[in-house]
Amino acid sequence: MPKLPEKKVGIVACSGEELAEGTVTRLAALRVLEELRPRDTVTICLPLFLAGGEGDRAFARFYPTIAVDGCELRCAARATEKYSGKPAASIVVTDVVDEAGLDQPKGLRHLNEASLQAVEATAHHMAFMVDDLLGKRWSRRQGAFLDDQIPVEAEDSSRTATCACGSGIPIQSVAVNGEQVTLIALPVLFEQFQEVGKPPTPEIARELLEQVKIYNQVPEELEAVYLDVLRQEYANFCIEKEPVK
Amino acid sequence: MNQHKKVVIVPCSGIGKTYGTVSREAAYEVIEDLRAEQAQLVALSLLVLGDDDARSAVGQYPAIAIDGCKLACASKMVEESGGHVVQEYAVLDVYRRYRQFKPRGIAELNEGGQKLAHALAEEVAASVDELLAGEGGQDA
Amino acid sequence: MSEYLKYTLDKFTFQVATNRYYNADGVWAKEEDGQVSIGLSDFLQQRSGDIAFADVVEPGTDLGFGDEMASIETIKVDISLPSPVSGTVIEANPAMEMEPEIINEDPYGNGWLAIIEATDWLADQAQLLSPQAYFEHMVAEAEEEAKSL
Repeated sequence: MPKLPEKKVGIVACSGEELAEGTVTRLAALRVLEELRPRDTVTICLPLFLAGGEGDRAFARFYPTIAVDGCELRCAARATEKYSGKPAASIVVTDVVDEAGLDQPKGLRHLNEASLQAVEATAHHMAFMVDDLLGKRWSRRQGAFLDDQIPVEAEDSSRTATCACGSGIPIQSVAVNGEQVTLIALPVLFEQFQEVGKPPTPEIARELLEQVKIYNQVPEELEAVYLDVLRQEYANFCIEKEPVK
Repeated sequence: MNQHKKVVIVPCSGIGKTYGTVSREAAYEVIEDLRAEQAQLVALSLLVLGDDDARSAVGQYPAIAIDGCKLACASKMVEESGGHVVQEYAVLDVYRRYRQFKPRGIAELNEGGQKLAHALAEEVAASVDELLAGEGGQDA
Repeated sequence: MSEYLKYTLDKFTFQVATNRYYNADGVWAKEEDGQVSIGLSDFLQQRSGDIAFADVVEPGTDLGFGDEMASIETIKVDISLPSPVSGTVIEANPAMEMEPEIINEDPYGNGWLAIIEATDWLADQAQLLSPQAYFEHMVAEAEEEAKSL
């Protein structure tokens, strides 16, 4: 059975060298990437991103990203929006520091105590954002995440339709109210549904939509339109997959 | 007569490899300790996103780019942003000259990384001196 | 078959060239008129990181299948590369001395490591993985590493 890409969150840190807050973003991002949420996050290297790194840009185009900036200039957030798409979340360290009532960070190379506290506060803020973006729920009773993720198939897939940029991310463009919308994972979802014999009915279209919403933002006011589009596209897919008689 | 009064230092500060942290540490050492009066650090992302002060600095002064690896993001983007890179350092190449200083760690450099950053900073400082004395630049 | 098999994991895309064979360690072998060129797969070079040093055995060296034919050093790893073919080394890539990063830039082209005059290519080939088999092996390894984070 074809395999769905695992949804992860990209982390883009400004790493600005001119302010202590820039160093805070760097250390907070690494804390999340290496310790707090290593399996759920992916590094987006900002200089490589700016210089045209296609892997990073493609990832940020299709997966949610968290931009963490040292100041209101918001270089990481602006760069992400310019070259890929608006980040799903944007954090500014000065805001985190103010909200937490911490002292202003100081020190570019050797952070002071206030800076280290800012790193921790920012990192945990980001970690909670990652959980939120991935739709994970924390059970206080169980003291663990509730496992409501879609299971990833263990078997490897044959090649799937992928983005033209060469990134390998499976996508398909559909027309929604006359506008082309690119939906990530749609080709793989169609394959999965068709393989288990699900027909292109309105009920199945509803199931498809719930799966599509895991990987894509679907405006609530357009859900009815998406349902219709998905049912039609899936019907076309099933017709194409039928063996020639 | 040399007309330059300052040299701009632009590190890549890449977050994906230890080399990025070495570039950052070396740049800091140059502008804070070794050549505080003669060198000025410009943040790459500010430059690329059009910050007036950053663009003015690279437009006015020669630039030394410190890249972590051979992807050369800092060098490339300084040139594309209107700057002139007179000297390029790739930390990977510098490591080849100082094989005994094997860097590790991104959030925090190990001892080898700190020593490599220091060795690189000394080389950059020497380049700053050469540039301000009116001699040419090169790839290192 | 297309020129490359591709697999994307997060922001990384790994390519497997389809016109050569592979050992399980990720060393490729491409035969032409009895001479076999060898190098690193795209997956192996990406996983290893920026190559700081690459040492290849000297021309004239006789190698058995699986003997160490090169070693590479990166920040992340120091690895010994087993030869995917038995024979005599007739050429080592001169670029490895000063520019081993070419392995990272062009692993299936200018990043070749050595050329070997093969003793019995067909016997060695039978022990190697086809492009498809290596692709599946690579995907399994990549996913296993991702799970271990």
